[in-house]
Amino acid sequence: MNIYLLDDIKKLQLHLTYQYQLHQIVKNNQGQSHWQQISTDQFPTLLHEKAQTSIKDFFFAQQENILVFNGEYFQETLPSPNPFVLFGVQSCDLVAVNYQDKFFKNDPYYQARRKHCLLVGLDCISPCEHGFCPTVNAGPGVRSHTADLILHPLVNQPLEKPQWLLIEGSEKGAMAIKHMTIKGQPLETAHWHYLTQRDLTLKACKQKFSDDSHINIAIEKINNNNVSAVFWQKVAIQCIGCSGCTSLCPTCSCYGTRSIKLPNDNISQERFWDSCLYEGFQKEASFHNPTAEAGKRVERFWRHKFSDGIATEFDRYGCVGCGRCEQTCPGVIGVHSIMKRIANDA
Amino acid sequence: MVDDLISTICPYCGVGCGINLKVNELGQLKSVEPQSNHPISQGKLCDKGWSTAYAVTNKNRLTQPLKRIKNEFFPISWDEALSTIAVELNQILDDSGPKSIGIISSARATNEDNYAAQKFTRTVLKSNNIDHCARICHSPTVAGLKQSLGSGAMTNSASEIFDTDLIMVFGADPTENHSILGGHIMQAHLKGCELVVVDPRKTRLAKLANIHLQLNLGSNIALVNAMLHVIIKEKWYDENFINERCNGFKYLAQHVAQLTPVSVEAITGLKAVDIYQAAKHYSQAKRAMIFYGMGITQYMSGTNNVISLANLALICGHIGKNGTGVNPLRGQNNVQGACDMGCLPNVYPGYQSVIDTNIQTKFSNAWQCDLDPLEGLTSMGMTKAALAGDLHALILFGEDPVVTDPDQNHVKASLKKLDLFVVAELSMTETAKLADIILPAASFAEKDGTFTNCERRVQLVNQALEPLGVAMGDWQWLQALAKKMGSDQLNWKTSEDVFNEMTSLNPSYEAMTYQKLAKNHGLQWPCNNENPTGTRLLHANTFPIGKARLISVNHTDIDEPTDDEYPLSLTTNRLHFHYGCGSMTRNSPLLERETPPGILFINPENANTLNIAHLDAIGVKSRRGYIETRAIITGDVPIGLVSMPYHFKEAPSNQLTNTAQDPVTKMPELKACAVSVIPLPKGVEPKSIQQLLEGD
Repeated sequence: MNIYLLDDIKKLQLHLTYQYQLHQIVKNNQGQSHWQQISTDQFPTLLHEKAQTSIKDFFFAQQENILVFNGEYFQETLPSPNPFVLFGVQSCDLVAVNYQDKFFKNDPYYQARRKHCLLVGLDCISPCEHGFCPTVNAGPGVRSHTADLILHPLVNQPLEKPQWLLIEGSEKGAMAIKHMTIKGQPLETAHWHYLTQRDLTLKACKQKFSDDSHINIAIEKINNNNVSAVFWQKVAIQCIGCSGCTSLCPTCSCYGTRSIKLPNDNISQERFWDSCLYEGFQKEASFHNPTAEAGKRVERFWRHKFSDGIATEFDRYGCVGCGRCEQTCPGVIGVHSIMKRIANDA
Repeated sequence: MVDDLISTICPYCGVGCGINLKVNELGQLKSVEPQSNHPISQGKLCDKGWSTAYAVTNKNRLTQPLKRIKNEFFPISWDEALSTIAVELNQILDDSGPKSIGIISSARATNEDNYAAQKFTRTVLKSNNIDHCARICHSPTVAGLKQSLGSGAMTNSASEIFDTDLIMVFGADPTENHSILGGHIMQAHLKGCELVVVDPRKTRLAKLANIHLQLNLGSNIALVNAMLHVIIKEKWYDENFINERCNGFKYLAQHVAQLTPVSVEAITGLKAVDIYQAAKHYSQAKRAMIFYGMGITQYMSGTNNVISLANLALICGHIGKNGTGVNPLRGQNNVQGACDMGCLPNVYPGYQSVIDTNIQTKFSNAWQCDLDPLEGLTSMGMTKAALAGDLHALILFGEDPVVTDPDQNHVKASLKKLDLFVVAELSMTETAKLADIILPAASFAEKDGTFTNCERRVQLVNQALEPLGVAMGDWQWLQALAKKMGSDQLNWKTSEDVFNEMTSLNPSYEAMTYQKLAKNHGLQWPCNNENPTGTRLLHANTFPIGKARLISVNHTDIDEPTDDEYPLSLTTNRLHFHYGCGSMTRNSPLLERETPPGILFINPENANTLNIAHLDAIGVKSRRGYIETRAIITGDVPIGLVSMPYHFKEAPSNQLTNTAQDPVTKMPELKACAVSVIPLPKGVEPKSIQQLLEGD
């Protein structure tokens, strides 16, 4: 794969818009970062800030119709989006998409969107609030198998003259920039020593993360079955079943379905994001429920994020260290809070 | 794929969390996310908030005006709907006078809508017959705190939860009903703040608390008086504060002199030593905050309950300082605002009395018309007047009293007696089914305006979507109706115009503008020239009435004790999954899945005696009605007490609840009545109230 030097990121954005609809993280008037379609050629500055909502809903829609039954036969309602590029995705979210790709490998609705997407990753060069991606092997640098293109901001550049490394991550990424020129010239190839510089920058970034030894201690306790049912019951009192953690978690993928009668009497089958922290999630029609107890649900959720069993199935833990659950949990049992309690009290 | 992210305020409870609506390129609401930098919610939402998209975009929304012909509804145009209403209202005004028409506005609508509703009532219909659901949640707060402190709102602010040493939660279940604030209390408690919970049920917070006083239903005043006794006897009160800021201490001290903890053991069901400990912890804490809810207000003794909490805070000096206060948790997103706007039969906007001639003159000059000098009817008064044939027309929006008011059969009978009943709603509620004309209302996502949360924070609501079908915002159709009736009183172009007119008449909102609200994440009233950036903390230096009043109050028994025929006490509660009558939350497939449509919480021992198993179908009977539902067996309710959430139209608790009222505010005693419970035969499904009534 090739690496290039890039002085003007807008040139890359413009080039990609010839083939793709561009989406990028912007800030709204309240200062909140979120993904937005960019329909002008006034490209916003690349933000080194994770969006509150991860990119999973680009592929796994929060609510979508999947089938229509017209009384005789079923018809799949597959989405057919135009090709789009997610420009400037942080490593945690890319690792999560990689994880979701495995989970939804045979899901036609997910794949219909996924195959039209080009992922442009962005290396993080400083830690974010609540983030601990290095501990769970999900950042801060973009993993090459998770993005089609990778952008790395070169440090030690004067502010007014930023420079970027552009790294090809996949065949698709290479194709996307194959014909890109700047002032009539092909992209400037970068010497390999820039990759060493990138490694050093990322290493320095890793050093700047605050101590999160509680995560590793707690992971070990969870996997050695050193966390008692009584402990889970106790912390689960704090779970108010809001679904915030599962909604924001980039690797959560549970969904439910329901039938809706349409005005023309056809039946539409809809699927929607579900949450394993709802009591009704595993409840059967007979009212039997293996996770009727809140403690069981909370335990199940965290085992899905940190158990070795999951790691075997998906080649990694279910947690990518983005820390979104810590911010959003009203019950103070987001990842840092709960792992600290497991490490200290369980 | 999001095309736009609109910042607005969650439409559910009174906490007022920041929510962002994600709208796609087709202008459809796809999903929501919390606002990470909102001053209260800080990136969090509860399950209701997270499911907002289901509430707004559901397929049951009304999209055009409907007219009833016999028992069926037929679509009509706005013009026809408003013309019909205008002609009938004018006729009723001519025949029976202004007193024969009532308006019930909505604590879920914006301040602008509510301001318009009371102005419509006062200037077009020429009466003060305006009320809203605060009658059945916090009218005792307004009445009680007004007497004790001079102002009936939360004295302090949500952020002070992190700035106090002790939190006492009295008759409230914040993690269910005000989840984000409940979460803040959990967080503060985990960081070391003491937590005292007073509740007959083992709520989530009770399970985490340092002290849980699991008192008998309706024994709040007995408990507080005994706590006052202890604090005075042990000299744990704040003498300086009492001398400088309060009147009536001597009488109060005499009043509680004999009310020892031991003397109230039987009434409260608590041990004297526990009462003593709670009194000690509360009074000795450096800073202590009281939060309370319906477990205080929804009693015949509601106003006195509120007064007794004010007494407690006042003698300990736990008021007027950071991290203290008497803080009602208000139920609906804008119930504070609806009260502030004067959607009450006795006050204009800003709690200015309608019977004060100076104030009448002020409003009469501003609105350039004569005003009714007498107080109007409360919502219960309207129900009664309708039954008596004295009220002929009622316009109601964004409320479902058939499901949420006490004594369903009584409410239905009175609504059926009206000559004209108009309901503006998002979807077909049980109440709307009784209307002559239904108007399609715009949802919160479809309008601009403001909501005032329970900490008096006025926040901007921003339009994200076009109204569904021909749905309209409430002030817009009220204005159109006024014009049809030949009045130019309501004459605004934008929500901001309405707001600006209101601020010119409401001293607490005087210095607010939309621009300032946008810039500051909302502003807390009073916001006037003296406090241009609002007021976080009330009563810091003085009370609006000068010195606060310590008012001696007595315990009163609940109206309907248990007996052989009705051996169990019934109380009501809420579930965090649902909101009010469920007309919004029950559209979420996730929230709807959480419980059967109607449940009754019952202690294992009572269930055992009655031979009831978990989730069995049961019948519940009171002197007023009978419903069928399913049993949830749990130690969270004590022996002898059963509890029922009121969200479910299939099994409405108000078939059972008592209408006995607080003499001051007419608040019904929704929190206590006597019932009997029987198991239904195995395999039988509970019948909905609709099936049961049809079967009669």
